[in-house]
Amino acid sequence: MSERTRNIAVIGASVAALLVIVVGLAFGEATEPTAEDRVAALSEAIKCPFCSGESLAESPSGVAAEYRALIAERVEAGSTDEEIRQEFAENFGDSYILDTSTSSWSLALWIVPPLALVGGGLVIYVMRRSAGRRDDEHAGAPSG
Amino acid sequence: MIAALGTFSILVALGAAVAMVVQGIRHAGDGSKRAMRVPVFTLLTAALAAFALIEIAILNHEFSITYVANNTATTTPFVFLLASGWAALEGSIVLWGVVLAVFSFLVWRTLRDEDSLGVLALAVMGGVSVFWFGLMATAGNPFAVCSAVAGDVCVASTWWPLGDVVAPVQGRGPNPLLQNHILMAIHPPMLYVGYVGLTVPFSFAIGALIRGETGRTWLDRTHRWTLVAWIFLTFGIFLGGWWSYEVLGWGGYWAWDPVENAALLPWLTATAFIHSAVVQRKRGMLQAWNYILVIATFSLTILGTFLTRSGVIASVHAFTQSSIGPALLVFLAVVVVGSLALFAWRAKDISQAPRLDSLSSREGYILMNNLVLTVLAFTVLFGTMYPLIVEAISGAEVAVGRPFFDRAAVPISLLLLLLIAFGSVAPWRVASSQVLWRRLRVPMVLGLWGAAFVVVIGVRSWSVVLAIGLAVFIIAAIGERYVGMVLARPEGAGSAAVKVVRNDSGYWGGQLAHVGIALVAISLATTNGLAVREMVTVPRGETAVVSGFCVRYIEPFSVSEPNRDVAGVRVEVLDEGCTTSKAILEPRLNTYAGTTQPIGTPAVWTGWRDDVYVGIAGGSSTSVDLNVFVFPFQWLLWVGGFVVVAGGLLAVSRKPAEGRGASEESTSQHSGAT
Repeated sequence: MSERTRNIAVIGASVAALLVIVVGLAFGEATEPTAEDRVAALSEAIKCPFCSGESLAESPSGVAAEYRALIAERVEAGSTDEEIRQEFAENFGDSYILDTSTSSWSLALWIVPPLALVGGGLVIYVMRRSAGRRDDEHAGAPSG
Repeated sequence: MIAALGTFSILVALGAAVAMVVQGIRHAGDGSKRAMRVPVFTLLTAALAAFALIEIAILNHEFSITYVANNTATTTPFVFLLASGWAALEGSIVLWGVVLAVFSFLVWRTLRDEDSLGVLALAVMGGVSVFWFGLMATAGNPFAVCSAVAGDVCVASTWWPLGDVVAPVQGRGPNPLLQNHILMAIHPPMLYVGYVGLTVPFSFAIGALIRGETGRTWLDRTHRWTLVAWIFLTFGIFLGGWWSYEVLGWGGYWAWDPVENAALLPWLTATAFIHSAVVQRKRGMLQAWNYILVIATFSLTILGTFLTRSGVIASVHAFTQSSIGPALLVFLAVVVVGSLALFAWRAKDISQAPRLDSLSSREGYILMNNLVLTVLAFTVLFGTMYPLIVEAISGAEVAVGRPFFDRAAVPISLLLLLLIAFGSVAPWRVASSQVLWRRLRVPMVLGLWGAAFVVVIGVRSWSVVLAIGLAVFIIAAIGERYVGMVLARPEGAGSAAVKVVRNDSGYWGGQLAHVGIALVAISLATTNGLAVREMVTVPRGETAVVSGFCVRYIEPFSVSEPNRDVAGVRVEVLDEGCTTSKAILEPRLNTYAGTTQPIGTPAVWTGWRDDVYVGIAGGSSTSVDLNVFVFPFQWLLWVGGFVVVAGGLLAVSRKPAEGRGASEESTSQHSGAT
């Protein structure tokens, strides 16, 4: 197989796979989360009252089991995730909701990591450019 | 008697640690190995004696010693008695000190007769030992004796071991969670060896900075220590996840608990360090960065201990809280400020790095990978500390948990996976786009079809699809490279398969670890994205079907053991049609002496694809409520962890007098032409 046919085969196979992925993700029917999936997700995002810093999901304590049962009841009764979180927030305080995307304090939390990544990338870029220039001055060689 | 001997041995160890510092400084000039001999041997002997005495006290049920009374009982099984020697705060500090003493001894053995760098490194290790044994001699004395008793608990203790002591008749026993599974006896020591082992590269780095010695000597001498510490840390983290999965009963293995994060943080920076050290050793670059990374890694181990043990952050792992928090914080501040000041003082001497020829090169991808690993570590650290920061600024209470860490860490980790694939196959200096294209085009097709396959079977989560696609990409890239190099050799494939690895076991150890990481990524994706969770109520003798499996409730059972009462149910796991039996499981609720809360212990059946994870959620006299979770490819997580560790071991097996990477360089030219 020549290099050219090989490349064409690779590109063809890649485009076909990409099509499957994009069409599947965009138009495929997503399976709805089951009631148990929702209970599990909510329990992982709500802190267990009277436990040491664990979520309702992790805590092996009886208290946590009771609150998990309560969440299951609410899900069964048709409450939305937001309503259930709200109920816990009202009873115990916002600090029991581990899903911080709702709190105004969380802004810095979400902004800082991407900033660090971009900032670090910039540092590498700038250092590389200045190193390249310094090298050019010394050797007069084009940078790679 | 044991208390007095124990306290004495701790004081001796403290004295020996001080002597290590003094002798190390006095002999920094002549680098006399002999001068360090007595302090190092004394430290080792005294530390081992302290550790042995704690174990003897526990096995003899010496309840006059507060630590023994409050953490063990006569009914505690033997293995957990042994493990109690390090399971609680004071004992864990003793274990820390012992491991540090053993490392000091092993480092001393590698010293040459005149070895200034080695002697200074030992002095730094002595300084660290002074801190830990100082803690034991003061706020965290494991041999403090009991002076007041309330029930089974010792409520007050006194440092002076020869005064009047009282002893409860029975001890309180270990925390129930700590005596529920054998892994709890193995996981903490593994982590400790990893944590403490990272003191060695830190000490050599500080020694090199003090001496104003630049260059790669300190890296060459600590390369294997770092790898060994990293292997233990990796192993310890995976064992911790396994323990969580087997014991805690919620089906998870990682909760982004502050203390889990505390173990992950130094792992991330140590991983970055292992890679950037390779770049300095092969290409002379990243010298300053390596100092920063090794200082950060060591500081993070101290920070991790502080988070675990000071009680500033409530956590399931903070089994004990105590007064040693402030001491740890001061030590952390001394380490960070001291090392960075030293670094700043020497910064001008650290030689200018040779030019990075191209960002698209092995060193370029490692540099980018380092950036991403560091940002990931920073993100985890920031999230863990965020509640403290906000509370300090505004007094507001916020909680940061799984939703944040998952959403922040997943994209960063996906980027990391992509860079692993490129870094694994890119040549040093310059990786032209033709070479990369030739080495990565087939893996790319396989990765894309892997992702497409996952979409076809019904997955709609982009992160799961991407993770699996990238993992296949990595495995295929490394696999293709390996096969290409084996086939390029003149001899038969059998012996070539071994020779290729033996010629450059450092490189192939790394690649094996990358394959392990890819397997872990696949498992993380499937167990999070494709898990099925159901709670079913099953009457006795009846069955229920969950996600292709049938569970039958056979009967309840109960066992009375010395340290706990077990109430469990026997459950049969069958295929979907409820005809072929696969296993009998016995999930249970354990109630430990002295507690009323039962601790659930799940039972797991592992098939070739799925784990069926069964826990008791409740029940009545005629039926049982079962949590039945089905996790696809959960076993791949543990296999992946072992592969990562195996990769580390392969890299360590490399002969110390290795060439300077010439082998990989030259062979890569061959297969580059295929």
